[in-house]
Amino acid sequence: MTLLQAVLIGCVAALARLEGDWLGECKMREPIVTGFLVGLILGDLQTGLVVGAALQLMWMGATGIGPTAQLDIGTGGTIGAAVAIMTHTGSESAILFAVPVAVIMQFLDTLLLSSYSGLMLIADRKAEALDFKGVNRIHYLCGILTFLLYFSLTTLAMYFGNSTMEAIVKGIPDWANAGLHGVAALLPCLGFALLLNIIMEKKLIPYFVLGFIPAAFIGFDISMVGIAAIAISLAAIIYMVNSNTMKSVQAVPASSDNEWED
Amino acid sequence: MARNEIISTENNLTRKDFRGVFWRSFTLLGSFNYERMQGLGFLYAIMPLLKKIYKDDDESLKKAMHRHLAAFNMTVAPSPFVMGTTIAMEEKAKKDKDFDPASINAIKVSLMGPLSGIGDTFFWGIFRILACSLAIGFASQGNPIAPFILLLVFNVPNFLTRWFGLSLGYREGQNLLFSMQRSGKMQLFTFCAGIVGAMSMGCMIAMWVSINCPMEFTIAGNAIVIQEYLDMLLPKLLPLAFTMGIFAAIKKNVKVTKIIGGIVIIGFVLGLLGIISM
Repeated sequence: MTLLQAVLIGCVAALARLEGDWLGECKMREPIVTGFLVGLILGDLQTGLVVGAALQLMWMGATGIGPTAQLDIGTGGTIGAAVAIMTHTGSESAILFAVPVAVIMQFLDTLLLSSYSGLMLIADRKAEALDFKGVNRIHYLCGILTFLLYFSLTTLAMYFGNSTMEAIVKGIPDWANAGLHGVAALLPCLGFALLLNIIMEKKLIPYFVLGFIPAAFIGFDISMVGIAAIAISLAAIIYMVNSNTMKSVQAVPASSDNEWED
Repeated sequence: MARNEIISTENNLTRKDFRGVFWRSFTLLGSFNYERMQGLGFLYAIMPLLKKIYKDDDESLKKAMHRHLAAFNMTVAPSPFVMGTTIAMEEKAKKDKDFDPASINAIKVSLMGPLSGIGDTFFWGIFRILACSLAIGFASQGNPIAPFILLLVFNVPNFLTRWFGLSLGYREGQNLLFSMQRSGKMQLFTFCAGIVGAMSMGCMIAMWVSINCPMEFTIAGNAIVIQEYLDMLLPKLLPLAFTMGIFAAIKKNVKVTKIIGGIVIIGFVLGLLGIISM
């Protein structure tokens, strides 16, 4: 790997992180996007895309909701795709590297975000002094520090870790590979469980079952779009029925329209 | 047609100003931290308009800046709605001396919960999964159109929600809120968004979590494949069971870092023993 390629891959990892912060979570962190970019840089677009698809499938449930984000799929996907292309091995070794990198980077990220709390005190002082440029600078500084961490770690790992990675990929015993696949199989459950934690309440359990059963039995022949359309129709029906009863209830004094409150 | 029409005559807020808030809203997470979360990002987004609203009142401007440096955190896509509502309320606070500025933060905080619930459901739950699942088909065949499909399918609703959210929040934010809260329609609407979310979640766990049991026994010459028996009971039983197990742990307030540790250990051991695979 040339220095230029390592620098560019460092930029991809930083972009995958900063899209969330500075580009409105526009989803450049998804493995299909990073796999595409890494493929372009290393001159093997096909492998980049195929590996990206495999990682994407594994990380379908990897959500990054605020402080509960649990996996850095941006850096993990970038490094995973790069290793797979460099060692000419494919998705297996991408998963082997992507999972630990995603866990470790998320941990480092937690430290980074904790350290920014201190900068907020400076922002307070700048606001007190009506120093608008100063307030802006604190905002930008956080972005620059984040960029530097992700860019430098990834670039260094790519440029100097080349042969180590190759040795690991070639030397990994089958049992460790099987164990890692077990981890990769379970991790998506966490993302979906975190989403459930936001959405679910007891009254919604029947609707959850209504979504699960057709997809479980029919599989991909009924697409997400199909189930989403049924769900939106059902929600519209419930809304119309209930807003009508609400109107009639409101006509009567001492209404009991708190039906939906917890 | 004037390119830079004036939206609010009192404070000379123009369309260009609001476009500025729109673009700045994309950096809401830029200085995310565990204390104030998106506080500084929120102030950064609306600061140019605060400067205009309080251009002849430094003391109030200072107070307003501190107000919006306070902790704030929500799903980013619907956040411009809150910014629009906030700007309208700041204008009201300047004009009407009886208006208690503390109610601005109260409304911001009361919007965070419901809007994040709906926003997470749609953006993390539905649009992201939809965009990724459409792109996976192309990517696995090595078709370079895949990343563009992913970004397009996700970002069209992302941009539209931001742009229309900002203008709706500015013009209607408070009225909408009060009337919906008074009539109880806010809860009903949140519940209906929950229906869409819950059904999509059920569908996604069945489609996108892949956990199988590859164990096989031979008893008296008959091969017994465990997964076939599990499928007879209920297809996708393992993804459902593991997700519900983790969900239960979250409900019991087990820390996410501990859950990850548990997943890594349990997953590794089960994978090693050949009990589960992807």
